[in-house]
Amino acid sequence: MNQRTRVVALLCVAGVMLSGCGRSSGGSGGEQAKGVAGGAATGTITVWAMGTEGEKLSVLAKDFEATNPGVTVKITPVPWDAAHDKIATAIAGHQTPDVSLIGTTWMGEFARAGALDPTPDVIDKAQFFPGAWDTTAVDGTSYGVPWYVETRLIYYRKDLAQQAGVRPPTSWADLTAFAAGLQQKAKARWGMYLQPGGQGSWQTFLPFAWQNGAALTDDANKNFTLDSPEMAKALDYYRSFFTSGVAPKDLAQGQLEQGFINGTIGSFISGPWHLGILKDQGGASFLDKVGLAQMPKEKAGTSFVGGGDLVVFKDTKNRDSAWKFVQYLSKPETQVKWYQTVSDLPAVKSSWNDQTLKADPMLSEFGQQLNDAKSPPTVSTWEQVASVIDGEVEKAAQGGETGAGGAKAMQQKASQIGTGA
Amino acid sequence: MDDLAEPGDTTAPVLGDGGPAGRAVVAGGTAAGPPPGVDGGLAGGRAAAGAGAAGRAGGGRRVAGRAAGRARGRSRVRRNQGLAAWGFALPFVLLFATFVALPVLSSFFFSFTDLRSSDLRHPFAVNFTGLRNYSRLLSDDVFRQAALNTVYFVGVGVPLTMCLALAIAVALNSGVNRLRTFFRVGYYLPVVTSIVAIAVLWRFILEPTAGLLNQLLGLVGVTGPNWVGSKVWAMPSIIAMATWRNVGFLMVIFLAGLQAIPAQLYEAADVDGASGWSRFRFVTLPMLRPTLLFGAVITGIGYLQFFEEPFVLTQGKPLNKTLSVSYDIYNQFGFGNYGYAAAMSYVLFAAIVLLTLLQFRLLGRRVDEPASGRR
Repeated sequence: MNQRTRVVALLCVAGVMLSGCGRSSGGSGGEQAKGVAGGAATGTITVWAMGTEGEKLSVLAKDFEATNPGVTVKITPVPWDAAHDKIATAIAGHQTPDVSLIGTTWMGEFARAGALDPTPDVIDKAQFFPGAWDTTAVDGTSYGVPWYVETRLIYYRKDLAQQAGVRPPTSWADLTAFAAGLQQKAKARWGMYLQPGGQGSWQTFLPFAWQNGAALTDDANKNFTLDSPEMAKALDYYRSFFTSGVAPKDLAQGQLEQGFINGTIGSFISGPWHLGILKDQGGASFLDKVGLAQMPKEKAGTSFVGGGDLVVFKDTKNRDSAWKFVQYLSKPETQVKWYQTVSDLPAVKSSWNDQTLKADPMLSEFGQQLNDAKSPPTVSTWEQVASVIDGEVEKAAQGGETGAGGAKAMQQKASQIGTGA
Repeated sequence: MDDLAEPGDTTAPVLGDGGPAGRAVVAGGTAAGPPPGVDGGLAGGRAAAGAGAAGRAGGGRRVAGRAAGRARGRSRVRRNQGLAAWGFALPFVLLFATFVALPVLSSFFFSFTDLRSSDLRHPFAVNFTGLRNYSRLLSDDVFRQAALNTVYFVGVGVPLTMCLALAIAVALNSGVNRLRTFFRVGYYLPVVTSIVAIAVLWRFILEPTAGLLNQLLGLVGVTGPNWVGSKVWAMPSIIAMATWRNVGFLMVIFLAGLQAIPAQLYEAADVDGASGWSRFRFVTLPMLRPTLLFGAVITGIGYLQFFEEPFVLTQGKPLNKTLSVSYDIYNQFGFGNYGYAAAMSYVLFAAIVLLTLLQFRLLGRRVDEPASGRR
């Protein structure tokens, strides 16, 4: 091959590659789910699950295998840290499992990649908490089932609140007075801990935006609407805890729990896992001092709902049986058993009527809050937009930025990133 | 060694020794390289070396020498030998092409597209965006901050690490004799320790209230800052940790370089009445130049890609003050912006190449160069 033929060949290859490029228009929106055949599940179902869920899922799988004699459930535990990349790689290589647990904020990304099978109607949408169901819906189609949920409440020291003469807050004004009271009258060094920025602080901040009636995107999830007066006011409110010195601007890792136990931090906002942490670090009797309060109401009393969804991949070779397994996992009684196994809160509403959960007053608080809890929009760029919100929350908390400026910056950066639609 | 005794000129030992050393290098080069003019007859020899059988070299030469008319047969032999050589190389070539060349080339290609994680199932169904990823980088606040942080880290970290490592190496080489092994192990230990353990350790040291450093500062009446939480002190903390972690490796390299300097140079310098500093400045440093270059390049490349230190200690906080370019790339990959992240990686790659070239320019002069220049 002489020099010229080589150049020509190279250009041809490049041309072919480029002409193969270009996005086909039209997304995955409005996809129709196929039905699921009746009868027992058969064959092999491969399942990926992360963390404790991955380690303990075999308990439920055994029950499922007992009622469906022809089926084998193969479970692969995956660490949470590696899960996102592992699933993304599996999708790229068409080597996905049949079923996987995935984080609620990954739904938009994987659904838009065209990797997930739309939820068939054997799954009853009405049985789940609406906020949790919303995590599965991408562009109007549902691509999975909420498996377990978590939501955020206000943890506070009952003894300190009594000492300060403050009652659990019901409004924003209440919450300000509540935190200030814990600090001034009950001599807590910090009245309340709110995440002063850093990864995941959007989960603490966004409930305030929702409580003030802010919407994150337009109805079609196509454009962000972060620069609103509601958002600005919410950020100003969040910021007020730091400017007034009620909340610490930086707290070293691990000091929150210790501070709460020894009374230097009067309250904080977090999810159900903190019950276990506080019990471990403060002893079982410490929980008697812990009070849980619903989120304060401004225009609404909304909290954040997170958790995990179960999905079936399009590349599955055993689709109907895979959905049957998912259906089994979202039965009310299975959900209760799952709570007893790993303490995951049920995503199915009727499970909360079971005595196991109902008898626990603290858990009931979470159950009540779940009726008014929202999840972030299921856009494929959410993780990146969330980090933008983290950054602006940090700027506001450190005192450098007002609510209006923060909301404007969020919108500007988020619209640059886009919704991926 | 009588030519060394030029009084007052402390560079003389170097020059004197540079002569024979340089000659040896030239001689070695002659032996290894192909002698000019013998190329035609060497075809058989080269192939024989490829096959690893020295005994066949004579045979090859006989084939070549027997008759000019049998050129066709010779070329067939040559082709067969070429094929055999490729056959032997094939496993490596295949592995290299699949796992190195292809990913590198495709990542370069994708840096000109808007590939995102939602395109995973159809990676070629993306839009070709030309240089847009690269131009977007220029207006990306976070990337600019990360680039500044990286320049800060490299600009302070590399000289600091090198000076410290050199100082320790010199001290171990000349001053400390009794506990040399102890110190060597001590300084090298951080290099082999897991970064996770190091992070835990440094968190204890830098903890704002109960931390070792602030407790010590408290003893002398200074209230230390919240090191990793402070906008001003977070990066110096990271630099300190990286220096502490990497100084041992460089020290060992420098120590080896120091021990390779012939003792007679120092003896000669002593005879010339050179002071300690002059010995260091005019004997040690010039002789150590190749080692220093190696150290600077290795440290520069490593530091430009620094990632683990902020990852375990600060996660880029506060306000992205400790976010490095590598960390930003890692984040963008995490966000699924594969095309954009690939473009960032190539910018970082270009920066590494530039820095390395610069270091070769500054430190890469050969030891005997000024000598030949002055003679």
